Amino acid sequence: MSAATTLLEQVLNGLTIGMVYVLLAAGLSIIFGVMDVINFAHGEFFALGAYVGLSVALATGSGGFWVALLVAPLLVGLVGAGVERFTIRPLYGRNPLYHILLTFGLVLIFKDVITLIWGQQPYQFAKPPLLSGTVTLFGFDYALYSYFVIGIGALIALGTWLALTRTRYGLVIRAGSMDRDMVRYLGIDIDRYYTIVFAFGAMLAAVGGVVLAGRQNVAPGMGNAVIIPAFIVVVLGGLGSFRGAVVGGLLIGVIQTFVRSQFPFLEGLAVFLLMIAVLLLRPQGLFGNPEWGTGGEGGDLLTAGDADVFDSALKRRIGVGLVGVLAVTPLLIGLPSYYVNTLVVNILIWALFALSLDFVMGYAGLVSLGHVLFYGVGAYATVLAVMHLVPSLFVALAVGIAVSAVIAWVVGYLSIRVSGVYFSMITLAFAELFFSAVFKLEWAGSSDGLFGFDPVYGLFAGPSVGSIELVGGVSVFYYVVLAAVVGSYLLARQVMRAPFGSVLQAIRESELRTGFIGYDVTVYKRRAFVVSGGLAGLAGGLAAVQTGGVSPEFLAWIRSGEVIVMTILGGMGTLYGPMLGAGVYLVSKELLLGITEQWQGVLGLIFVLFVIFVPRGLVSLPGLLAGRFDRSPGGGTDVLAEEETEVTD
Amino acid sequence: MSDGDPLLRLDGVRAGYGETQVLDGVSLDVNRGETVALIGRNGVGKTTTLRTILGAVTPTAGTVRYDGEDVTGLGPIETVRRGVGLVPEERRVFPGLTVEENLAVGRYGGSETANRRDPEEVLETFENLGRRRRSRGTDLSGGEQQMLAIGRALVAGADLLLLDEPTEGLAPLIVDRVSELIREINEEGITVLLVEQNVAVALSLADRVYILDRGRVVFEGAPAELEANESVMERHLGVTV
Amino acid sequence: MVMSGTPPSKRRDRSIAPTRRRLLKAVGTSATLGAAGVAGCLGTIGGDAENTVTYATLNPMSGTYNSLGPTQRKGAELAAKHINESDEFGFELKLVKGDTETDPTAAQQAARRLVNKDGAQFLFGAISSSVALALNEFAQDEEIIYNPGGAAVPITGEACNEWVFRAETNTAQVAEAVSEYTVKNLGNRVWFHISDYAYGESVLKRVRSRMEAADANLEVVGVSRSQLGASNYDSFISGIGGSDAQVAVLGMTGSDLINFVGQAASQGLKDRVNLMSPTMTFAVVRGALGKAAVGTYGGVRYVPQLETGDNRAFVEAYREEYDGEDPDNFARVGYESLRMTARGIEAAESNEPAAVKDQLPGMEMDTIFGRNQFRACDHQAMNPTWMGELVEGSGETAGVKLLSKVEGKDALPPCEQLGCSLG
Repeated sequence: MSAATTLLEQVLNGLTIGMVYVLLAAGLSIIFGVMDVINFAHGEFFALGAYVGLSVALATGSGGFWVALLVAPLLVGLVGAGVERFTIRPLYGRNPLYHILLTFGLVLIFKDVITLIWGQQPYQFAKPPLLSGTVTLFGFDYALYSYFVIGIGALIALGTWLALTRTRYGLVIRAGSMDRDMVRYLGIDIDRYYTIVFAFGAMLAAVGGVVLAGRQNVAPGMGNAVIIPAFIVVVLGGLGSFRGAVVGGLLIGVIQTFVRSQFPFLEGLAVFLLMIAVLLLRPQGLFGNPEWGTGGEGGDLLTAGDADVFDSALKRRIGVGLVGVLAVTPLLIGLPSYYVNTLVVNILIWALFALSLDFVMGYAGLVSLGHVLFYGVGAYATVLAVMHLVPSLFVALAVGIAVSAVIAWVVGYLSIRVSGVYFSMITLAFAELFFSAVFKLEWAGSSDGLFGFDPVYGLFAGPSVGSIELVGGVSVFYYVVLAAVVGSYLLARQVMRAPFGSVLQAIRESELRTGFIGYDVTVYKRRAFVVSGGLAGLAGGLAAVQTGGVSPEFLAWIRSGEVIVMTILGGMGTLYGPMLGAGVYLVSKELLLGITEQWQGVLGLIFVLFVIFVPRGLVSLPGLLAGRFDRSPGGGTDVLAEEETEVTD
Repeated sequence: MSDGDPLLRLDGVRAGYGETQVLDGVSLDVNRGETVALIGRNGVGKTTTLRTILGAVTPTAGTVRYDGEDVTGLGPIETVRRGVGLVPEERRVFPGLTVEENLAVGRYGGSETANRRDPEEVLETFENLGRRRRSRGTDLSGGEQQMLAIGRALVAGADLLLLDEPTEGLAPLIVDRVSELIREINEEGITVLLVEQNVAVALSLADRVYILDRGRVVFEGAPAELEANESVMERHLGVTV
Repeated sequence: MVMSGTPPSKRRDRSIAPTRRRLLKAVGTSATLGAAGVAGCLGTIGGDAENTVTYATLNPMSGTYNSLGPTQRKGAELAAKHINESDEFGFELKLVKGDTETDPTAAQQAARRLVNKDGAQFLFGAISSSVALALNEFAQDEEIIYNPGGAAVPITGEACNEWVFRAETNTAQVAEAVSEYTVKNLGNRVWFHISDYAYGESVLKRVRSRMEAADANLEVVGVSRSQLGASNYDSFISGIGGSDAQVAVLGMTGSDLINFVGQAASQGLKDRVNLMSPTMTFAVVRGALGKAAVGTYGGVRYVPQLETGDNRAFVEAYREEYDGEDPDNFARVGYESLRMTARGIEAAESNEPAAVKDQLPGMEMDTIFGRNQFRACDHQAMNPTWMGELVEGSGETAGVKLLSKVEGKDALPPCEQLGCSLG
């Protein structure tokens, strides 16, 4: 085959995969542009499209593929409309973080609903005979179906473009993506359009799902697999820009294909590096406009800090009491050691992780979607320290903290240059970058991970961790973890009480004003990030010791999601709220495990309800209930904020 | 002076953002067919007043009555549908849409008032815009954007037109043109409430003037009265004309 | 062990009695379950401890391998049922279950729950090698017997320990069956394409070296790698098609393999180049690919049509228990892991893992594959392996035609080569 045809073939390969990205990213981008909603569940609409399409095709028999292509998007569009109407609409006016949270909760629900209905095995969607086989064009054989994918993608993109530019709805939607409030000031109820926009976005994703199902198998993980690339495309193209989604999608598809053949080592890394580069150099992407779509950033992060009903003396007593219970009871009651050594240790470790996140999210307002990075780095560093330095547990944990703090400094330094949604995206990109990278590193155990490490309590020798047990089978390690977590909480609280903490909170409330007063906002944010990273690294190190090793799963993005859920569930901005959230989440999981295999879906549902109705978390519940009985105003659910605070008249 | 009820009446309005109180009991009237100017220094609450009228800000006390109806807290969409139009500070033309498209958006909203203008008519009257009908919002000059913002509000249809600092940042020649435009609009029957930093323009256009200072009305009267009262001008405007 | 220099069996110095034993001795204290009130039970502890064996089956029911977990569990459940019904075994087997979530930390915690709370003394499960490795460690710490469901060599190789007994066929055994046949019959100009992770690398390494040993004329035309979980293989397929390779060896499994072969068939590669993958014959792969799989080749660890040992009886019993469904390899592994270990328990006349672990190595028994044993030096079952071709099946799914067989003793390389020496 000549070099020209090989090149052409590579380009076509890139366009094929690119078209699917376009279908996904277009919906995602428009939804964000108009509604300021970051829809994490978009991948699930894609998956739902494939599954529904599969069922429709099976039910129809011959010609099923075409019927599916038509019917499945419509059905998924209906689902999308329902989702918007009942879950997203209550959240308008809130900080975009809540949309991320809500849609993340929806991901958990949808995934389990899909497995519940269709089971876990992969299916193959039969291609229509009309589209099977190869065709000879431009002098070489190429899969006809791939041409079909490119064709249909182009057709739909064209259709969408026409709808956006030639119809009344399209015009209003475009105007809304540029200046939503002005559209209202012209007397147009843009909220009604949102349902259409959301449903349409879901339909586009569903078409992508049906189309892709013809070339790939249909499996429960398919939604997860596409959502991150979709975000990369949207960032590259520009949040809110349809044209950006088209160009970005095709570009990413082609780039991925070429990286694969020319720089195979970079495969999987290149796109994240690209995403980071774009966010640092030109956050608005290729076609986004920095002023578009950010008018009215929505409300503040709803912290539970002020919603406290209990006074500090009572809280202190509760805290001391709790620590006392945790320290003493395991030795007294003859509980199976599983509960103490495993469940409670697990809760404590996650509580520490959640604490670290609250440090930056609840106080400085930095919504980090990739916090698992520091957790994972801490875990790996701890294990490698024991394996290559000294087997001492404490030295290894210290190394873990140090390394993650350093990484946090670097990542923080780069990420803090951008703000808002872009900051969240860039932290996600860094986490995914490290996750992909660790697979390629032999010394990190690549995909198998590193197991069989044996930390000891001494420096070079000594009793191995896990070998010393106290009364009732409680491991000494339990107390190590308890001490670490309580110590970290006290440290964090001390830091927050110092002027540093007040500055952080001021930054969260209004970065602009705090800067005007004379504080170097960037330095404060970075410091908070470093402390947070260190704490997360400690959590990761402890988790590695608990597991007996480390593997790439320690860096999986889903952990970032889980820790955010715990933080919000508990009530951020309180330090102890997220820790409580961790406990409630894990205990609930333990209870649910005995009942259903779809425990994630149930937890997702609970989480969604919290996001909508109790956004300040569990810690705010007493205040909410008290408010109900007193009928006094203030506290509790937030009122839709129409405009952000202005400085001038 | 006009007869009958005022088209717009604010009565003891208190409003603000969060914990910041900006308006501290504002009362004013705008009668049908008038041009009323609202002037004052920076930060006294002029824009907030307009926003409260429009319904973008809900007062904590007091009422807003439009055309005899209590519209307090109805929200911008409902208020606009009743015939109130806004030309905001910063103009806020849709940057990525063309002039034609900007007007079209206006047409899809607004109210069914008789004062609705046809987009083509607007493009003819505002000759600059007519020549630039395919240009994007971002490509227009400040003056053209101002014309567009006004034109858009007219296409939407307004019996009461709220203008927030329409001459801000414009060259003197354009200021004159915009002034002229506002006068024409008023002559054609549209009631105008004008917020202006530029006292000269305000006084030249207005039938009556309100001065706002720290959230309250401190002066009400005809322009001539104000020009004669140097102490008021100096105290509340920091200006001598 | 990969990282430290000490030989595996000397790695630990356990001077304190392990948790589980201590718990068993604490029989009699009424252990309240606290506020959690979890729906689990302390079960057999305190009961007929001598005649009961609590076996835990820990399968990937969620996470990346969740499509394979259910059949693995079914095999184990069937084994538990047969063991309890059979007169051959003088004890009662109680099966407790857990989900690995295809995550080592979650798996290890689930294992802890099953061992410390439910009193399991024997553990089976996992497919992912990182999860299996974590459980290897766990089994050694807790001194319970573990039957891994993963196929990676290090599990009974460099990471082996005396508590681990594997009934699943490992990748080296499969490589024996496929390498020689492929290079001698499918073509000696070979392209290797693997997913970039441990399994892929091991396929590349072993198949290549076995091929070299079998045929000096082997020519490796190209080696390419794709990222684990990549779903688009068009450019690789074009590359292979454009070379003069006669056969492409695919070191990938699951969705990766399904997508690759599906797309290769679309692009017509399958007609030009022989496609061979050690896991091509998996039921899950065949089920998903349908007709696209016909004409490819693969290693066979197990297929229902085997005439070895008591496979017929096994297949019939499985069909009866599970509504006519045929067992797949994972079900076979589940079944045989429990059964072979149960035989060891019976022979040792003890349900103490320490006693059983001394009984099992080298103990000959009748299995689905005929006479078989857990080899003494690494505790790997000496399973035979086959080379298979995928042919037209009776429905949408392709069938497997067995082309050649490698006997158990020939399939498994010597322990020195695999990195384990247990005695």
